[in-house]
Amino acid sequence: MSTESDSDVKDELARKRLIELASEFYDQFAEGTVPEMEIPTRTKSNIVFDEKKDVWVYGDRTSTRSANSVRGAQKLLKAIYTIEFLAEQLDQDRSSTLRELYYLSESWDEERAQFNDQDESNQLVEDLEIVSEVTREDFHMRPEESGATIMGPLFLREQTRRGERDIHCQEDVGEGGYQIPNNPDTIEFLDHDADFVLCVETGGMRDRLVENGFDEEYNVIVVHLKGQPARATRRITRRLHDELELPVVVFCDGDPWSYRIYASVSYGSIKSAHLSEYLATPAAEYVGIQPVDIVNYDLPTDPLSDSDINALESELDDPRFQSDYWREQIELQLDIGKKAEQQALASRGLDFVTDTYLPERLGEMGVL
Amino acid sequence: MTSFQSQLGEGGGEAIAEELAESQRSISIAEFFEKNKQMLGFDSDAKALVTAVKEAVDNALDATEEAGILPDVYIEIEEVGGYYRLVVEDNGPGITKEQVPKVFGKLLYGSRFHTRAQTRGQQGIGISAAVLYSQLTSGKPAKITSKTENGDGARYFELTIDTDTNEPEIDVESETTWERPHGTRIEMEMEGNMRARKQLHNYVQYTAVVNPHARIEFEEPDASFKFERATDELPPETEEIRPHPHGVELGTLLKMLEATDSYSLSGFLQGEFTRVGAKTADSVLDNFRDRHFGREVAWRPPRTHADGDVESAVADAVANKSAAATAAFAERLADDVGDRDRIANAELAGLVDDLADEIEAEFDETFGSTVRGNAVEAAWSTVVMDRSADSYELVDRATTSRKDDAAIEGLAGRLADKFDGQDDQRNRLTRERLREFVDRSADATEEFDDATFGETARGNVTEAVWERSVTVPDDPPNVRDVAADRDTAAQLLEAMRETDILAPPTDCLAPISEELVLAGLKKEYDADFYTSVTRDASVHGGDPFVVEVGIAYGGEIESDGGVEVLRFANRVPLVYQRGACATVDVLKNVNWRNYGLDQPGGSGMPNGPAVLMVHIASTSVPFTSESKDAVANIPEIEDELRLALQEAGRELNSHLKKQRSLQKRKRKQNVIADILPEMAEKLSEVTGRESLDIEDSLARIMNNVLIERTVEGSSVRLSVHNYGGTNVAPEITEIVTDDPGDPDGATVVEMDGEWFMKWSPTVGSGETATLEYETGDDVAFDVSVEGIEGEKLTINA
Repeated sequence: MSTESDSDVKDELARKRLIELASEFYDQFAEGTVPEMEIPTRTKSNIVFDEKKDVWVYGDRTSTRSANSVRGAQKLLKAIYTIEFLAEQLDQDRSSTLRELYYLSESWDEERAQFNDQDESNQLVEDLEIVSEVTREDFHMRPEESGATIMGPLFLREQTRRGERDIHCQEDVGEGGYQIPNNPDTIEFLDHDADFVLCVETGGMRDRLVENGFDEEYNVIVVHLKGQPARATRRITRRLHDELELPVVVFCDGDPWSYRIYASVSYGSIKSAHLSEYLATPAAEYVGIQPVDIVNYDLPTDPLSDSDINALESELDDPRFQSDYWREQIELQLDIGKKAEQQALASRGLDFVTDTYLPERLGEMGVL
Repeated sequence: MTSFQSQLGEGGGEAIAEELAESQRSISIAEFFEKNKQMLGFDSDAKALVTAVKEAVDNALDATEEAGILPDVYIEIEEVGGYYRLVVEDNGPGITKEQVPKVFGKLLYGSRFHTRAQTRGQQGIGISAAVLYSQLTSGKPAKITSKTENGDGARYFELTIDTDTNEPEIDVESETTWERPHGTRIEMEMEGNMRARKQLHNYVQYTAVVNPHARIEFEEPDASFKFERATDELPPETEEIRPHPHGVELGTLLKMLEATDSYSLSGFLQGEFTRVGAKTADSVLDNFRDRHFGREVAWRPPRTHADGDVESAVADAVANKSAAATAAFAERLADDVGDRDRIANAELAGLVDDLADEIEAEFDETFGSTVRGNAVEAAWSTVVMDRSADSYELVDRATTSRKDDAAIEGLAGRLADKFDGQDDQRNRLTRERLREFVDRSADATEEFDDATFGETARGNVTEAVWERSVTVPDDPPNVRDVAADRDTAAQLLEAMRETDILAPPTDCLAPISEELVLAGLKKEYDADFYTSVTRDASVHGGDPFVVEVGIAYGGEIESDGGVEVLRFANRVPLVYQRGACATVDVLKNVNWRNYGLDQPGGSGMPNGPAVLMVHIASTSVPFTSESKDAVANIPEIEDELRLALQEAGRELNSHLKKQRSLQKRKRKQNVIADILPEMAEKLSEVTGRESLDIEDSLARIMNNVLIERTVEGSSVRLSVHNYGGTNVAPEITEIVTDDPGDPDGATVVEMDGEWFMKWSPTVGSGETATLEYETGDDVAFDVSVEGIEGEKLTINA
């Protein structure tokens, strides 16, 4: 049960961590040393697989933001201004979006503390997340709504600014489904009737599944990823798996970019590898479209472009795809030189996906 | 006109002098002058005035310096009724009536003409040419005032040159008064104009730069300057030197051979040349012998009991001597020869002579020259019995391993045959003849043995044999014989050039010195940076020379357009014919971009706020023409000049680099010094803690040296933190208002109730030095630090 005082405690903790960070800089000054902030290097080459947690996390390489260069000093100055802003926001129990932070910095007196672009402010917030070990949601920082939704036999309670709302994700929502809030940790699962969770990449396919009543027929919670899934989407997927002990499967297009969407759901992304443990669902399995499906179901295809081929080849080197299954599928796809969208299944009739394809695939995977 | 002097080195100087004298007899002096105006530097009215000033000033400077007086020169140009009047005064020793015509009137007067020493480069013709020019153009005599130190007062002379006889005449002589204690004043009126004002100003200014010991005052109708003295040090007196063996030409050598009193070549070399002692003379003579007589090839003597037996051959050759003496002689000779790895005929003859003397003494028998000759011949015939084996070894070693063995054998055999068949059985030959042997043998081998012996292989074989050959002990021809034979003299010259001989002494040169080049530049140019380079003396054609370079950069120096180039030869500014001057050629070919100057296209005149000064001091500066405006392209001088420019360039570059890095540091410091306090303020705001002192962090960031003071009651501690990467040795002076006692490592001086403590700690990179002392409770401090650039120093005390 999440109560008023719980969230207050959480806010206070986040605030404390931020002030502690500022105190570290303060102490460094007081000792006469150069203030600096050490953070893991956030590049592909510094991502390692954590065998224990089954997710990708940052490796040992770190980079230092130090005040001993003009650039470093400016970065730290911005960090301190941002810390002050976040601390105040927590104090006043307000929240803001990442984009608002970027525009808000324009109002700071100290011009050198202002952000040059939103990438800079986004990155800085990520830096602070890593160093303070507090997620940006707990800083009350949110991204723009991603618009990802849930549809399925799930009864939940959302802590909204206007009070608690109890929502059933089939009965209380429209065709569009229940919109995942920016901080899914404000949700409490009350009850469910689901057998598994199906994450769907495209809106068209989600709509097809809902129209065909797939969620009702098979007791499925359909999560719409909306392309590369936002943090909130990944977080709620993880919670559905952890708290409701539901198997999770991912249903995407049959191209290299979709495999990466699956990978970020399953293993975590590079930019937020510090939160993999919190966001990734290692048990998530891939439904399709598989390259082998293209052959088996004789799906309409597009030829692979050069960038597709490069992406596939780089996936062959990507440690996240180093299983026999993925190697086989990727090599097959390179071999046939084709890719297919989810909706290509419609070439066999509108019901083919719900009547034949998914039941077959899910049966193979042991989910049904 | 200095080229007259330079031509003396080539044996032509006197010839030109004689020629001049000849012309003077056959044509009128005016006509001569007219014909040679250009050569004398009076080719235009504008240039004439510059030249006249130049001659008179050079004369004045030389006169004062020779007398050991710091020059004080006054130059005045005045326009009087269509003419220009030039007055030049000096504070020299003054001259007597007898000297006046010689100094100012007579062409070609002056002892310097025949010496080899560095002077401002006149031969005595300069100032008299100006006198003559003024007389020819204005019709007025030269007016000379002179006062010597003997207290007789000043004398006034009017001097004209009789253009028929070329004799100077004093027309008017009177007593006069002059405020100077001693000195000489010359006044000339001449046609002229001030169109060359810039050159004139340059000349005077550059003269001041290059003569920092002189005080020069200059007045002309439109301007006047005063150049103060920057040093009291006179340039060192220059010594005369004899010519250097590397510097003479054949003609000069022949003349010297004719003129010398020496009988032997050794005596001649030691007596007439600089840097030649007995040992060097011997080396020269050995080289000369190799050329004149050739060397004798040394062969490997037969090993004992080999086919050819020296002992029995010699025993057989010695007739009519007692058996015991003959046997002893033969045996010892065989032993001695056997001891040698290789032996040449002359060496064998020497052995035979020594042994024969020994045997004569021991056995009381006479071994006359016939016997000795026979013995040499007999022994030699056994030594040379198997030249081909010997020759094979030499050829084999001298050629590459890729050569076919048969080819080597072919060449070696043919070469041995050449020696076998040589008329001179001693195998004495010159290197040229040896090469001929090798060539012929190689040609034949190529023809018959189907092998190739290229230029390199032939050269190597020649070299190998020549190396194994021995310089002969024959006495070289005497001086008279060499003088009589041009070819022999040429051999001697080659030998002289080939021999390593110490560079000529440089006390005959008076470089300005690095220190005074700096002083001169600093005096006339207000720059940020100065550097100077004086190279070691070097030699061109037997004349020692020194190249000096100075650079002034930045500050008030004009930064638009090309750099200003100051050229000097023997302390005389060169203001004309810049484009023809070797110094400018070299300067343009230096890649100044490497040294931080802008140089469009990577060659040519660099741009920027710089003054480049080049000075060539030599007993004979080679000029391109008689008007001595430009230095000729002499490779040795160009090389030295290039090195000097590069050396100075490197200094300049390291200065500029340092400047840039300090500027960058300054910028960084400014930005960071701005941001850090903001950061600190925000931090105390966010954390709610007291405000921060960030000097330490700042110093650390800037790799600075930080000096901090801690006061606890009456004890004061100064900490010197070195956050930089290199050691620092600052000089720290602390001033306190109470007695600090006698602190460790400090010197304390009290002055008017203030105590000055001085420490000079050396602080390594990353280390901290602590300076402590005890003083009163309520005192004022003031610390100052020297020896660390301001940008790198943070004082928090």
